[in-house]
Amino acid sequence: MATQYSRVLDLVKVQCRVFSMTFNPDGLRLGNKVLRQRLRGPTLAAWYPKKTVSFRDLRDAIKPLGLTTFDEAEDDREEAIQIAKLRGKGRPKKKRTAAESRTAKKKK
Amino acid sequence: MSQFRSKKLDIGGFINGRIIRDHTKRKVFEQYEPDRQALRYIIRNTSLPQRVRAQAQLQLSQMHAYTRSTQIKNRCVAGGVARSVFRDFRIARFQFRMQALAGELPGVRKASW
Repeated sequence: MATQYSRVLDLVKVQCRVFSMTFNPDGLRLGNKVLRQRLRGPTLAAWYPKKTVSFRDLRDAIKPLGLTTFDEAEDDREEAIQIAKLRGKGRPKKKRTAAESRTAKKKK
Repeated sequence: MSQFRSKKLDIGGFINGRIIRDHTKRKVFEQYEPDRQALRYIIRNTSLPQRVRAQAQLQLSQMHAYTRSTQIKNRCVAGGVARSVFRDFRIARFQFRMQALAGELPGVRKASW
């Protein structure tokens, strides 16, 4: 004995309600496939490694407390600048106003 | 675009301009993904009025390019290279070879038979 179509529809309706699906007997394009997709953003955004705490961060953190760390590269750099200044090879003084920069050009 | 770039660097490891740009795109995409999906749903739903769907189409097409997932490109975490990047290791082929030979990648070893 063939079951009535309306009975089958009722069954499908209940099924959809139980499993929280959309009841769509006509097969219309309701775009639910878009809603079913998972968001890809969090995984994509986690591609590059996160910033970790570095030695420089530590140095910057303790600086306001009046503590300093020993940085050999920085010391070397400052020493080299001092030597260059003594030899007259340091950087020129920063021109703060337009008039100052004009006079500097004329000297040439 | 600079309007989306974070003021302070929030990634570690190897960094160059292209990596920062790609990272910015990833974050912008993550932020706008729900909006894009909502618009896509409206466009795909044939039971909604045609006018609404057309408006949604227009809105989606006028969103900024950085909100698009196609702008994202997988780059090597160790060298910034965008070609032949292994998805599992996030490293391009040469960096992969160097690190694998140095034994820095667990479970990877040179094939020999």
